[in-house]
Amino acid sequence: MSRPAAIVFDQASIAYGRVPALEQVHGTVRQGEIVALVGPNGAGKSTLIKALLGLVPVASGSITVLGRPPAQARRLVAYVPQADTLDPDFPISVAQVVLMGRYRRIGWLRPPGRADRDAAAEALAAVGLADRAADRFGTLSGGQRQRVLLARAIAAQPEALLLDEPFNGVDAVSQEALLATIKTLAAGGAAVVVSTHDLGLAQLTCDGICLLNRHQFGFGPPADVLTPDLLRAAYGGAALELGDRGLIVARS
Amino acid sequence: MIDVLVAPFDRPYMTRALVEALLLGALCGAVGVYVLLRRLAFLTDAVTHTVFPGVVVGFLVSGRSGIVPGALVCAVAAAALFTAIAATRRVNEDATLAVLLTAFFAVGVILISRQHSYTADLTAFLFGHVLTIDTADIVVTAAVTVLAGLVLLGMGKELLLRAFDPEWARAAGYRITALDLVSNMLIALVVVASVQAVGTVLVIAMLVVPAATARLLSARLGVILAVAVFVGMVGAWLGLATSYEASVGHDLRLAAGATIVLVLVAFYALVTLGQATRRLVRR
Repeated sequence: MSRPAAIVFDQASIAYGRVPALEQVHGTVRQGEIVALVGPNGAGKSTLIKALLGLVPVASGSITVLGRPPAQARRLVAYVPQADTLDPDFPISVAQVVLMGRYRRIGWLRPPGRADRDAAAEALAAVGLADRAADRFGTLSGGQRQRVLLARAIAAQPEALLLDEPFNGVDAVSQEALLATIKTLAAGGAAVVVSTHDLGLAQLTCDGICLLNRHQFGFGPPADVLTPDLLRAAYGGAALELGDRGLIVARS
Repeated sequence: MIDVLVAPFDRPYMTRALVEALLLGALCGAVGVYVLLRRLAFLTDAVTHTVFPGVVVGFLVSGRSGIVPGALVCAVAAAALFTAIAATRRVNEDATLAVLLTAFFAVGVILISRQHSYTADLTAFLFGHVLTIDTADIVVTAAVTVLAGLVLLGMGKELLLRAFDPEWARAAGYRITALDLVSNMLIALVVVASVQAVGTVLVIAMLVVPAATARLLSARLGVILAVAVFVGMVGAWLGLATSYEASVGHDLRLAAGATIVLVLVAFYALVTLGQATRRLVRR
C-alpha cells in the first residue's frame, strides 16, 4: 500500500545566514499525498517551501525531492506563489501566464508550439477558467488569479506541487475549484505540499500535516498531529478550540 | 503638407539622418517596452550617464571615431556593474545607482571641460548631432537593431517571465542574474547606438516615451510592442521634418534630437488627453 516517497525531510534545518529559521523538520511526503504545512505567521512555512525549491540552502540534515537535492529537481516541481505578490497592472493575458508553465519544456530560443498551447488551454479548463483566457490577468478576482497560477503549475505537468497559502483571501467558489484541482492532481500521482492558515481545511482535505513554529511539532496523519496539546504548544497559547464535528478553530 | 514631410530628405545628410532616426525609433521603441515592463527607467538613466565619460575619453583619444568604442567600453562595464549590484540585494539599489551615475557624469564633465571647444563638444555629446551622422554610425545602429531583434525573438519569453514573476522564474531554475545581464547589456548597447544621434541625455526619452504611449493605448503585449515601434519611428520622422522646416523655412533653429523627443512627448500628451476626455464624456 505504501507509495514511493516523493519528498523526504531528514532532520532538516534551514537558516538565513546565521539566523536559524526552521529546525529539525523530519518526515516523508509520498506520491499522491497532500501534506499541509500549518503553523502561526512567521512559523517558517514559506521558508520550508523555498527550501523545497532550492531557493534557500539546507543548513543541516537534508531535504530530498524526487530522489535529488531540491535545486536539481526544479524541472519536476511546480510552484504556486500567492497571487497578490504579482503586479495587477502588468500587461499580460491569462493565457500567456498559463503558457509560462511550459517554458522549461519548450527551452531557450524556441516559441511555444501547438502542443504547448493545448496543454495550457487544458490546464486553464481544469481550474474552470477556460472562458477567461483572453482577459488581462490583473482584471481577474484574487481567487481567479490564484486559480490561473495553479493552472500555470499544472501546465508544467509536475511530479510535485508546492503551494504557498493558496487559500488566503480566496472566495468560496475559487477555494472549491482550487481544492478539486489539487485533489485531481494528487490522484494522478503528484505529491502536493500546501501551506495554509486554515487548520479546519487542512484537517478535512489533507493526508498529512506538518505542524511548524520555528521547529517541527508534529508530522503525520491529521488525527495524530492536530491534537490540542500539540496545537497549543505550536501556537504558544493562542486560543484554540474544538468546534462542531471536531473541527479545529484557531484564533490568533 | 506632404512636401514638408518628404522634401527635406532629398539631401544626402538628411537621408542619412532619417535612416538613423527611423532605426533608433524602432530599436528604442522595442527595447523600451522591456524597460517599461521591468520599470528600469532609472537604471537606463544611470547607464546613459555612465556612458558619458566613455564618450569623452573616446573622443579625446581618437576623435569622432573613438566615441562609439569609448561609449561601448563604459556601457558594458556599467551594465555588468549594475547587474552585480542588483544581485547582491544587500545595498540600496536606488542610492547606489544615483551615486554611480553622478560620479561617472562628473568625471565626464571634468574631462571635457579641459577642452577648448568645451561648450560645443558638451552639447554634441549630451544632445547628439543627428544631422552629421555618417554611414559608420548607421551601420552601428543597424547592427544593434538586428541584435536587439534577435535577443527579443530568441529570449522574449524568458525575459517576459523574469519581468512578470521573478520568484517563480528562480523556482523554475532560471538564472535571474544571467537574464538581467542580457537585458542590461541590451539597454547599454541601445544607449551606445543612440549616442551620436540623440546624445546620452535624450536617449532615455526615446526608450521610455513610445513604450509608455503604447501602454496607454493597449494592455496586450504584442500590440504594445507594435505601437511602441510605430510611435518611435513616426516620432523620429516627424521630429526631423519639423526641425528642418522650422530651421530652413522659418529661420527658427530647432535642435533635431530635442525636436524628436518633443514630438514623442506630444504623442504621449495627446493620448493622455484623449483618454481623459473620453472618460469625462462617458460619465
